[in-house]
Amino acid sequence: MNSARRIDPVILLALPAVLYLAVVYGVPLIVLLGRSVMVGGMPSLSPFISFLSDPFSWTVIWNTVRIAVLVTLVCLFIGYPTALALARAGGVAQALILVAIILPLSVGVVVKAFAWQIVLRRDGVVSQFMTGLGLWSEPQRLLFTEAGLVIGAANVFVPFMILPIYSVLKLVDPRLGEAAATLGASPLYRFFKVALPLSLPGIVTGIAFVFSMAASMYVIPNLLIGDRFQTLATLTGRSFLFMRNEQLGSTTAVVLLVLTVAVVVGSAALSKRLGGAS
Amino acid sequence: MMKLFEGQPTRRGLLKAATGAATLIAAPSVLRAQTKELVVGGAAGHKPWVEQIVVPAFEKKYNCKILFEGTRSLVNLEKMQKNKGSQYMSVVQMDDPVMILAVKEGLLDPLTPAKAPNLADLLPGSTHMDGMWANYLQPWLGVAYSKSAMKTPPSSWAEMFDPKYKGRIVIPSLQNTEGLPSLFVAGLLTGGTMESVQKDTDAGFKKLATLKSNLLTIYTQQPQAFNLLEQGEAWMIGPAMSSYVLERKAAGAPIDLAAPKEGVFAMPSGIAVIKGAPQSELAFAYVNELLGAELQNKLAGPTFSLATNKAVPKPEGLGADVKIHQIDWANVAAQRNDWVKRWDREMAI
Repeated sequence: MNSARRIDPVILLALPAVLYLAVVYGVPLIVLLGRSVMVGGMPSLSPFISFLSDPFSWTVIWNTVRIAVLVTLVCLFIGYPTALALARAGGVAQALILVAIILPLSVGVVVKAFAWQIVLRRDGVVSQFMTGLGLWSEPQRLLFTEAGLVIGAANVFVPFMILPIYSVLKLVDPRLGEAAATLGASPLYRFFKVALPLSLPGIVTGIAFVFSMAASMYVIPNLLIGDRFQTLATLTGRSFLFMRNEQLGSTTAVVLLVLTVAVVVGSAALSKRLGGAS
Repeated sequence: MMKLFEGQPTRRGLLKAATGAATLIAAPSVLRAQTKELVVGGAAGHKPWVEQIVVPAFEKKYNCKILFEGTRSLVNLEKMQKNKGSQYMSVVQMDDPVMILAVKEGLLDPLTPAKAPNLADLLPGSTHMDGMWANYLQPWLGVAYSKSAMKTPPSSWAEMFDPKYKGRIVIPSLQNTEGLPSLFVAGLLTGGTMESVQKDTDAGFKKLATLKSNLLTIYTQQPQAFNLLEQGEAWMIGPAMSSYVLERKAAGAPIDLAAPKEGVFAMPSGIAVIKGAPQSELAFAYVNELLGAELQNKLAGPTFSLATNKAVPKPEGLGADVKIHQIDWANVAAQRNDWVKRWDREMAI
């Protein structure tokens, strides 16, 4: 009964990070949470009730979730094959792919968003390409549309999908696939029953990264879709910076936080059930 | 952020102490009198003309030193709030909507004709809330258009609603100060008067909804929007500020600003003395100079703005008979958040 488990001293190594995060992240978060449930000095859930009973709030929440899901899917479909190629490639090819993935991270989000503004214009590259191929009968603009936003955001976030998947895939023993092949598994079967389940932890991490970043992005929607498309993040920013309504800002920030945490925790739980290995 | 601002007077104090010490060492008997110092807070965009035109003239006339801190109106407000009781800034140049907030917090010292005689020479409607602040220069809002896309300049605000400009029109967000008149313009186009369309914006909102198919976007970042106009993706932006458009035009951009027949709008540029300001006499003198015809004459051109002093003529490019609408900013302050709410719902994609 009295054998209190001794704490492994190695855990203490996390102390600097824990202290740092507690100060710069934990404390402000508690203040924010506290503020979101206080009205005039009294605890109250009324800010949440009034926010959630407004149909427009649901439009905003739906906008946030829809865009984040679409961006995550695009990143997954582009990112997974890239991560696979990266794990299989060796030497110079691998170095080149890695540089190609990491170098763009050094370009700021604002610069990328402005570049997309040029690419997505009516006379931009995309429009010229599509009309040139005959797929579009006349030049169209993707700028300030949801499609344009998803394309631009996926470009910014795709490295955060590739890198976690790659780091898991490179640890997978390539002989596992060979063994499955020897036992008569078709390539498709091998992918879905061997490679995919083994890489699930990477996929889940990638999804968690990209979804939470896409759900909370602020600068990219501001520049690529503008004021006519509100998400929880843009609404939060506006409440604090412009309307000076800290109550509404705290409420939307907490809704966004709950949403993101739910998706991250949920996808982790799902991967555990599906893959068993986590 | 605030730490930095609070640190500023100390840093200056240190500098002063250092120069003082240096003088002492160089010349044991201090001969020159201490120069007075005045700190003025304003917008970052004001810095060039304040430092090139206002500061040299003022420093010479009053034998003092001016420090201009350029930032945003809301940041200036916060500086004043944080330093209440021990202000280090004496004068503030801010937009009228922020001035209203400053008045509510009791941060301003009212202007009187005794302390600033030039008040008497201002156009009607240039002072607000019993003289708490005055407008010195007013950029005006018209319709900016792409000279390469449009053969004739738009003569009416109604042109922005013409279906042939589908997807070519950009308007500012209601959260930008220059965006508010779009609501009033829409009201005017349905036959309201300037007074009625500001009080009741319902007709304006309904009219604005018909603009949606013409909209390329609604901007919050002004430079981004003008980028689109200069590159020909957007054809018209309205309301657009003279101080921004005409400066871009002067720099060679293929754009221009039209003054539509329904009239243009005056943007709010206010100046006020801070309550409990150091060097308060000098502060009122600074405000008085900016309200005077001499300085306004020099400033109206380079800032592409309207002067508020009666003695200064209207700028070139703006016909003498053009109507200039003044906006009731107190009404805006009272209703703006509700307008933004409705705007978000009705102007969404």
